[in-house]
Amino acid sequence: MVKKLPKRTVVIVGGGLCAGLISRQLTAGGIDVLVLERGGDHADGAEARLPNQRDELRWSVRQGLMQNWQRETYTLRHSRAEESLPIRWNEAFLPGEGVGGAASHWNGCAWRWAEYDPIVRTRYESRYGKAAIPADMPLQDWGTTYGELEPYHDLFEKLFGLSGKAGNIKGAIQPGGNPFEAPRRDEYPQKPLEIGEAGIIFKTAAESLGYQPFPQPAANSSGPYLNPDGQRLSQCQYCGHCERFICEAHAKATPDTLLYPLLRKRSQFEIRTYAQVLKIGYERRAKRATGVRYLDLKSGEEYEQPADIVVMAAFTMTNTRLLLLGGIGEAYNPATGHGTVGKNFCYQTLSGVSVFFKDRWINPFLAAGGSGTVIDEFNNDNFDHSALPFLGGASISAGPTGGRPIRGRSTPPGTPRWGTAWKKATAEWYAHSFGVGAQGSCYPHRENFLDLDPAYNDAYGQPLLRLTFDFRDNEVRMSQWVTQKVGEICKAMAPDLISSVEGTQGPFDTRYYNTSHVTGGTIMGAEPRFSVVSPHLQHWDAENLFVVGASVYPHNSGYNPTGPLAALALRLGDDLSRYIKRPGMLS
Amino acid sequence: MKIQKPTGGRRKFLVQAASVAGAGSLVSAGVSAAIAAAAEPTSEPAAASMPYQSLGPDEATFVEALVNIMCPADAYSPSGVECGLATYIDRQLAGPFGKGAGRYQNAPFRSGKPELGLQLPLTPEQFFKVGIAAANEVCVRDRGKPFDQLAAADAERFLQAVQSDHVLHDRVSLWSWFNEVVYRLFVEACFADPMYGGNRNAVFWKMIGYPGLPASHGLDVVRYRGKPYPQAKDPKTLADFT
Repeated sequence: MVKKLPKRTVVIVGGGLCAGLISRQLTAGGIDVLVLERGGDHADGAEARLPNQRDELRWSVRQGLMQNWQRETYTLRHSRAEESLPIRWNEAFLPGEGVGGAASHWNGCAWRWAEYDPIVRTRYESRYGKAAIPADMPLQDWGTTYGELEPYHDLFEKLFGLSGKAGNIKGAIQPGGNPFEAPRRDEYPQKPLEIGEAGIIFKTAAESLGYQPFPQPAANSSGPYLNPDGQRLSQCQYCGHCERFICEAHAKATPDTLLYPLLRKRSQFEIRTYAQVLKIGYERRAKRATGVRYLDLKSGEEYEQPADIVVMAAFTMTNTRLLLLGGIGEAYNPATGHGTVGKNFCYQTLSGVSVFFKDRWINPFLAAGGSGTVIDEFNNDNFDHSALPFLGGASISAGPTGGRPIRGRSTPPGTPRWGTAWKKATAEWYAHSFGVGAQGSCYPHRENFLDLDPAYNDAYGQPLLRLTFDFRDNEVRMSQWVTQKVGEICKAMAPDLISSVEGTQGPFDTRYYNTSHVTGGTIMGAEPRFSVVSPHLQHWDAENLFVVGASVYPHNSGYNPTGPLAALALRLGDDLSRYIKRPGMLS
Repeated sequence: MKIQKPTGGRRKFLVQAASVAGAGSLVSAGVSAAIAAAAEPTSEPAAASMPYQSLGPDEATFVEALVNIMCPADAYSPSGVECGLATYIDRQLAGPFGKGAGRYQNAPFRSGKPELGLQLPLTPEQFFKVGIAAANEVCVRDRGKPFDQLAAADAERFLQAVQSDHVLHDRVSLWSWFNEVVYRLFVEACFADPMYGGNRNAVFWKMIGYPGLPASHGLDVVRYRGKPYPQAKDPKTLADFT
């Protein structure tokens, strides 16, 4: 028997970064908000205290903070011709569970994307002609511009106290910053993080080749910080336990540190934990969302929660899955190209090269998640593609993020995997090596998409989401080309040893961590025919249903995805205030 | 060289350590210090005398032989058993990991491409043990003896062949068993916090120079940039702070 609860004004699915930012905007204006989060609260657990926070096995290897694959996983096939199978234990990407979501266990790399990212199709067509974009690459503009999002980027960066060095303030290029940066109104709120020996080696080599390295913009706090809401960050301790961990020192900007403590003091705000949303209620004829149905995991009771407005702010995959389960909008069909839900699922194209220096102390454990050094010369369309057989590119960076011993060691090529020779190489090189990584874009492909699996269900009896995904020719070519650039930089460092220089080949492999930057499935755009939500993130088939998160990105860039997602969420908070005053399609 | 029994390993290790450390050129000063520290006698009982929670005596024999091949006593560490590697593996198999916690185990089960991960209906503990039996079967078939009775060089050759999928069993993928379960557990056993039973006395952290806890490096990140980090010689573990 499903119990019906009193109606709320705004119900948000998923208690992560987006929900926190939207709620901040709404509750400031006195609007009633209820957030439903499937996980618990990490604030007071062992994961947020010393010494147990520093347990690589528990939190990182055994994924103590992540989605429980036993209850819900994804199925995968590399092409439509194959039969999908469930990923029974996923290493490739890591959705979070609990208040703060994946943004509580992030590394803290916080970018603005390129100024042209939201107009990516227009950019490529105007620079290289309409024929430059292959027919099987449904690249599309977002229907919004960087300029519209810039004030919200600025707000997010001040709320989260980002550390970095501006490269472009109102069009004036700043020495020491990223010369390719989109124009920003202000310097970063805090000075950059310290870089380690690896960063110095990389910087010197990159400069010797004429590139312009700069410090990674980061949410690891370079100093003590007080944000505009009166919330505090401590100074980062470079403990090397950021990604996959909760920062016990409150030195990594996260929703659970900076947003939810504030929100919980506001009477308009409520968050219910262990609330597993099963379905979005939808009236097809009226084209309206009615609320959500959820299971209280602690009592086993099922509830119907009516709402004037439903916001889906869950992880990329969950947003898409709930729309498909609710039959809201038209599911994407790759055979015809019709439909939009599940379309443009993108990953990222990563590769790396390891370098080894006998006489340099890299000390990989003296690091923060965002203490890297980066060059942007070969990212996205920052370089000329007219003679190249691909679109897109990668940011190239160096700097360890923690050197944790189970997963964070590298040995020279040819080292045996066990025995005395393995120990010798591990002992000799652990403190003397680092990786240079390429974080590459992944543009949409007609055959990369999400839908519901026909055979496998989750613990609640509903179909799992199915990924049909692989690295396609464009990404493989891009990765090969960019990784050669990585190799050139590595050689300019004159290391004693270097690993092989190879780009991503595929097939997509779930057994190894790649990146958690999955995007698309509920993409935004100016036309209902090609997008699930409008440029204001309003569902085309239900004006009181909004979707936010990386699931709305029509493509994936060569940057971490958090920045634009946060800007979109803050803007959505303001848009919802407008909508409540005057319902209708927002423009 | 025969596979060392756990009881005889420490003395032999000490001899080897002394000779290698004396040679000087093979190991850095940091490693020599680690060896000295690792070689200190401790009051803790030998791993082999501790009861196993998941492994039966026959399985324990296999695992002890395995970790002593993969981690022989040498200049860098005592034998695998003395480092607690068998203890670690046993506890993991007996605990939530071995029982399949967090793994999606719904039917239907079908085999598939390796990139999709293990698709077996077995828990990791069950698969680990099925693999032990299968490995012993092929050892007897091809080499006339179960794994734990092979000479060290032969056991090493066997593992090399398993790693590269050159040992075929008619029903069990030994390649998958070794690379996706055994090897991952081996690495964890070496490098996880000693609280879990492996990496005894933080011997592997000393070996590589990982300083462990509390890892509050706000000042050190500048002070020791490009320099040896002093605490790397004397790592601290969870137990030091509990």
